[in-house]
Amino acid sequence: MTFDVDALVVEEESRGSALADRLVGALGASVPVTYVSDAREATRAMLGADPLGAGKRRLVVRKRRAPFLMGCPAGSAQFACCGYLVLILASNCPMDCSYCFLQEHVANNPAFQIYSNFHDSCEEMDRLAHSAPGRHFRVGTGELADSLALDSVTKLSVDLIEFVREREHLTLEFKTKTDEIENLLKLDPRGRAIVSWTLSPDAVWKSSEHRTASPSARIAAARAALEGGYRVGFHFDPMIAYQGAERDYLLLVDQLLSAIPARRISLLSMGGLRMTPELRRAARRRFPNDPMLLGEEVLGSDGRLRAFGALRVRLYRALRERFERAGARIPTYLCMESRAVHERVFGVVPANPAKIGERLALG
Amino acid sequence: MDVDAEIRDFSTRRRLPQAYLERWLHLDQSGRSALLELARALKFRTGQLVAALDLLDEISVREQTSAAKILARPPLRRLVSGSGSAPERAHAVLEELRAIRFPRLRETTERLEAAVAALHLPRGIKVLLPRELASDELTIQLAASAPGELDHLLDALLKKRGDFARILAMIGGDDDV
Repeated sequence: MTFDVDALVVEEESRGSALADRLVGALGASVPVTYVSDAREATRAMLGADPLGAGKRRLVVRKRRAPFLMGCPAGSAQFACCGYLVLILASNCPMDCSYCFLQEHVANNPAFQIYSNFHDSCEEMDRLAHSAPGRHFRVGTGELADSLALDSVTKLSVDLIEFVREREHLTLEFKTKTDEIENLLKLDPRGRAIVSWTLSPDAVWKSSEHRTASPSARIAAARAALEGGYRVGFHFDPMIAYQGAERDYLLLVDQLLSAIPARRISLLSMGGLRMTPELRRAARRRFPNDPMLLGEEVLGSDGRLRAFGALRVRLYRALRERFERAGARIPTYLCMESRAVHERVFGVVPANPAKIGERLALG
Repeated sequence: MDVDAEIRDFSTRRRLPQAYLERWLHLDQSGRSALLELARALKFRTGQLVAALDLLDEISVREQTSAAKILARPPLRRLVSGSGSAPERAHAVLEELRAIRFPRLRETTERLEAAVAALHLPRGIKVLLPRELASDELTIQLAASAPGELDHLLDALLKKRGDFARILAMIGGDDDV
């Protein structure tokens, strides 16, 4: 996939790093490259009609000073969580989904930052694995950025897979809406990597998921990744409860299952679209004509707007039933939903996050 | 005075925030006029005008239609020209716009309200559905001033145990929505 880049800013400390060299090598001929002693200023929102959109086109290479590895920021005692750990290798994303939480989360620092000292994240993962011998962890890179959107240039997936395939207690998840899997297919992950795709019906893709690969292209990429030795997973998240959504999501599941046998799917997640009021305002400012942002949402006790419960539960159940009918017990979890909703959908009390995380890591 | 000048004049008198005035003026010609006619007929207060603009905007995007076409719908027209005071009709019109904006929420709420009414509970028991169905909690209030009265209410509640379970299941998505 190709994305527009207006500028590449490299912090002096990162000059000569593998990542900076790859980016300058790939983009330097077509994009102005600036070296600065302190890149913080370059990460900030600039004046203009769409600072976030401009930020997406301004690549900044710098060192990350904070830890790379952390618990999933969506985690909360209010929800039945999946024990997911996230590795922050970049912040912001060249794709532009109208519902994306980054519109609020990185509003003040919208530049597309990529961290040159990403190798330090490997040490953090090793420390984690050594801190709890025998436990298995699922770590993902797709929280504040799409895992693979710029992988053809950054080649970070290669470094990460070479690291993780030697670690039997770690499973690395690349979460994406792209079909950028060329680098992945050059490597044997030895069972230690999952590539997962967010899947939405065509109606949502066309209306809301700008600059992403089509759902069909994502499914085709998943098939290729599976054949390339990767485990694959799918996130029906956000699920948007528009009129006709149930029919469209079930067609999407059928399309998926016709390409990938259910027993080969390592994990599934579902989560209803949720937005804080501030995110909704920001999203509507940027995408005033997207009907997907205007569901029948109500404000929940966690301060987020979601389609009212009965609508969400009905959609979750419909998908769960369709996957069950395909005859495989696929590890499935709900994202940012309460234990009560989990029980209503699956008929059982959810396990604790660590246990779910371990089960998802093991597949 | 042309329509835009009339809208500006009305907005000034209502102290409508500038952003909302701009949204009003951004509607197409027939939408601008239709809303002005409505606001005058029902003597919209500022908050009601703001709510109407928000709802019209969101319905227009959801249904890919125009404000004028929404305001021309027969159920709304009937409410505008119906009986009742201007504030009552204004309230009813906004409720109808909310029902258009949140059709399944409204329908589900109405079905739940009907299920609660069908319980024929004695006075002293009040059943409160979660506000906007934003949670899955059903609140049941008992008001009694004598032990015998309380026993009576508790007995009545216990007899309806299965019905309450069904209502809770409906709230949780066990019914068609």
